[in-house]
Amino acid sequence: MAIVTVDNGNLVVEIEGLDKLWALKSRLAIPLANVRGATADPGIAREPKGIRAPGAHIPNVITAGTFHLDGEKVFWDVHDPRKAVVIELADERYARLVIEVEDPRAVVALVESSVR
Amino acid sequence: MGRPRGFDEEAVTRQAVALFSARAYDGLSVDDLVTGLGVHRNSLYKTFGSKRGLYLTVLRWYLRHKLEPALSSDTAQLQENDTLDLLLLAAAEQAPHDREVGALVGSALARLDDVLGPDAANQLLGLRLRARINTGE
Repeated sequence: MAIVTVDNGNLVVEIEGLDKLWALKSRLAIPLANVRGATADPGIAREPKGIRAPGAHIPNVITAGTFHLDGEKVFWDVHDPRKAVVIELADERYARLVIEVEDPRAVVALVESSVR
Repeated sequence: MGRPRGFDEEAVTRQAVALFSARAYDGLSVDDLVTGLGVHRNSLYKTFGSKRGLYLTVLRWYLRHKLEPALSSDTAQLQENDTLDLLLLAAAEQAPHDREVGALVGSALARLDDVLGPDAANQLLGLRLRARINTGE
């Protein structure tokens, strides 16, 4: 599970609990100028994720860490696909973040209203 | 910013107008969009940023290339075909809580008022709303 906030012109994504270990990351701060939008997308969990390095991938249980697919790096932290949100980035190390949040609708509204 | 090759943004936008004209915003999942538009999920995100990014692109394109030309031709047709449907759906569901959609819908309605006169515009929107209903006949 991740907590998403906007602070000082940055989108801040904090990874909670044990996922910090699986994802090998506890906090990401991305300038809002490099955030293109957010979408609630339960279906993305069924897409091919590519090659994991580093992080943990136990299919159907946890997808966490950095995945490489089609020349892009995607950060994943999802247990429950129903709560998956996709945050699209530009000019960042990650092409996008796919994270699980408590309230996808609220996170999408927060990100979209902050970047547009 | 790099665009994915072999991806006709305008064709996809035009196709998305049809999808968003037929179904509520929240009723269309990204899965529906990926299937309906025939594009990869990653390309969709890369090109439009988000579902809302796609929707705003679609709404702007529709207002300029579909609604505006229709206003300068036979407006009586507008209660028969689906030209007004995206405007009606946007006014009912996204415009009340999305300021950007609200502004686009507001100026489109003002344009309708200008062209038809407010009474005729309201009547046309009401007639189209009723014409969309599937009464099973």
